Amino acid sequence: MNAAIEVRDLHYRYGEGTPALRGVSFSVAEGECVGLVGPNGAGKSTLLLHLNGLLPESWEGPRSVFVGGSPVQPDTLPEIRRKVGLLFQDPNDQLFCPTVFEDVAFGPGQFGLDAEETRKRVTQALARAGLAGFDARAPHHLSAGEKRRVCLAGVLACDPSILVLDEPTSSLDPRGRRELKELLRRIPITKLIATHDLELVVELCSRVVVLDAGAIVAEGPTVELLSDEDLMLRHHLERPHILRHLHPH
Amino acid sequence: MRHDFLDRYSRLRSPVHRLPAPLKLATALVLVVVVVLLPPEGRSFLGAVAVFLLAVAGLSRIPWRFLVLRLMLLEPFVLGVAILALFQPGGGRLFLFLVAKCTLCLLIMVLLSNTTPFAELLRVLKAVRVPALLVTTLSLMYRYLFVLVDEAQRMRRARMSRTFTTQRTPAWHALATVVSQLFIRTTERAERIYGAMCARGWR
Amino acid sequence: MHIPDGFLDSKTAVATGVLAATGLSVALRQARVHLPPRRVPLLGLAAAFVFAAQMINFPVAGGTSGHLVGGVLAAVLLGPSPAVVVVSAVLIVQCLMFADGGLSALGANILNMGVLGAVGGWAIYFAVSRMVKGLFGCVLAAAFAAWCSTVLGSIACAGELAVSGTVGWTVVLPAMAGIHMFIGVGEGFITALVLVAIARARPELLQPQAPVASTRSYGAVLIYGGLIALGLALFASPFASSWPDGLDRTAEALGFREKTANPLLPAPLPDYRMPGMHWSVLSTSLAGGVGTIVVFVLAWLLARVLVPKANRIEEAGPPRSP
Repeated sequence: MNAAIEVRDLHYRYGEGTPALRGVSFSVAEGECVGLVGPNGAGKSTLLLHLNGLLPESWEGPRSVFVGGSPVQPDTLPEIRRKVGLLFQDPNDQLFCPTVFEDVAFGPGQFGLDAEETRKRVTQALARAGLAGFDARAPHHLSAGEKRRVCLAGVLACDPSILVLDEPTSSLDPRGRRELKELLRRIPITKLIATHDLELVVELCSRVVVLDAGAIVAEGPTVELLSDEDLMLRHHLERPHILRHLHPH
Repeated sequence: MRHDFLDRYSRLRSPVHRLPAPLKLATALVLVVVVVLLPPEGRSFLGAVAVFLLAVAGLSRIPWRFLVLRLMLLEPFVLGVAILALFQPGGGRLFLFLVAKCTLCLLIMVLLSNTTPFAELLRVLKAVRVPALLVTTLSLMYRYLFVLVDEAQRMRRARMSRTFTTQRTPAWHALATVVSQLFIRTTERAERIYGAMCARGWR
Repeated sequence: MHIPDGFLDSKTAVATGVLAATGLSVALRQARVHLPPRRVPLLGLAAAFVFAAQMINFPVAGGTSGHLVGGVLAAVLLGPSPAVVVVSAVLIVQCLMFADGGLSALGANILNMGVLGAVGGWAIYFAVSRMVKGLFGCVLAAAFAAWCSTVLGSIACAGELAVSGTVGWTVVLPAMAGIHMFIGVGEGFITALVLVAIARARPELLQPQAPVASTRSYGAVLIYGGLIALGLALFASPFASSWPDGLDRTAEALGFREKTANPLLPAPLPDYRMPGMHWSVLSTSLAGGVGTIVVFVLAWLLARVLVPKANRIEEAGPPRSP
């Protein structure tokens, strides 16, 4: 059975600069929820951009990223992008249409669905994201949390089998964060969450991958890894409060 | 300063707001053309138009204060150019007529823009086969002008709070830096938006 | 310089509308053909940028403030055709959303600021920066071109107002052009400052991709040139006193103008026939010419101040093709 996501020895550098990713290898199984943590500049966002082929800019050499067994490469990109729903860090970058409905309908429209089917998808996706009735709203009138959920609805409307999220709870207030967390909990598909919100990782992810300076430095069950104070401090992270009163067995 | 001061009333609930956008746009266009083409003998018709517009304004539930302020903001250029019309025989009459026509047209457009969400106007443009690239550009511009105005205000405030002199040249230098930074961030944002569009299947 | 509704008569509105639509279609086609897909969102974003930048007030003496219009800035950073699209988008949104610029005057505004301003300004930038190399040349060219585009646009605006019979040519030309010769200085100054700041932070943004020979479309150059020439000839030549009458007769024949309508002015403009008027036009033109030279020198001095000697040696690379 193919892994949902498999990354094999991924290397990447920006232009002539220092390498951003140095031989990253890991996999995410079907239905798993995996957390990707690491300090700023570790390469988390860069790694995520490889999962739906937005990076690299040129495609020489052996393929390093596989989604459901198929390699991510120019001819498979349309299908990969439908399968892998990527949620960007800044919802303003992803919510680019003048109304909520049009934005959520963008994906289905691009993938060739007709108007009737699109409308159904949009309504379903908005309902799933807790935004029923938001169709005619304008993005600039929405709160940060609402924008995030519209982006999520926009991704869900494409019916992906994998959700990849880049800092989903950043700049959300506690209520927004709670709502998003509950929402993610209710979505059973495979998830990879890159985040600084270590409490979120503990609450949602069974496994965690630690990335630092472009390489994976640790991988394993969430509670075990995040309770390891030394490991956390060594990579400019810290043990989340939620685990401070737990004793690892 | 919140950026929604730019688009506060286009989504109110009122009989006028509920009218379909193509109707409002067409009416505005026809009215503007009629008012502009009106010869000086048709002065009284202007009065009828004014009454109609005031009725629409009342029905639209847009605050009168806002309407007056917007008109006052736009009047100066009208007056500035109309004043040049005074320098000819019969200029005084001409000036008044001109100002009346212009002000009415301003009111038409202010009412149109504040009773019709821009997204609906865009849909009308798309329906009349305006080139896709232009519609996309207008759409993205509308979506992001609020974001960029916000960014610009924030940067300006941050910059000005580090400018300890009121001399003009350093202030200009600081403001030029804000504008340049805004452009740089804009190009970066455009790249990210391109990525987001591709991520959902754009080709 | 946004012309409101009511100042242009029907023939002028239609004529400018046709010219503007032509220019804009050409620009859209050029952009569609030559712009790589990853830069398409940049058009909309740049339009939002121009709008936001226009809202930043630059304090001027006595409590007033100036602001950037940005046509030439956009042309230098994006190329002339994208700049036309960007400026047109800004004008359309300003008209439809903010009543800034009349609906019936949209054609004229796009013609003046988009086609004449952005393309004409870009052409001047292209010419000057070809002659003076490096960042210094780029800054000098941009500052001067920004001033020129402001003045060009105002001359066209004045011409349109005069041809419409709204205002007398001898009044409106000196007033419009005169004021904009001063406003243009601010525009040039701010454009230069912004370009220098961008050059310092991200110099690659000023290096357009080297144009491949095949992308140089002479067709577009011809059309733009033709539009600019036509626009200026139709609306900015006081010597062609027969034009308004010629246009009027055409308009009557085509049905744009009611044959029984009284003209806005009680008599044909006597100004055109008076010998004194020729002198005043001559003196205005002379003042314009002198002003242009003065501004060029000012732009040169500004570029010297802004661009330290060390940077002047480097090559700025060939500017974009239309």
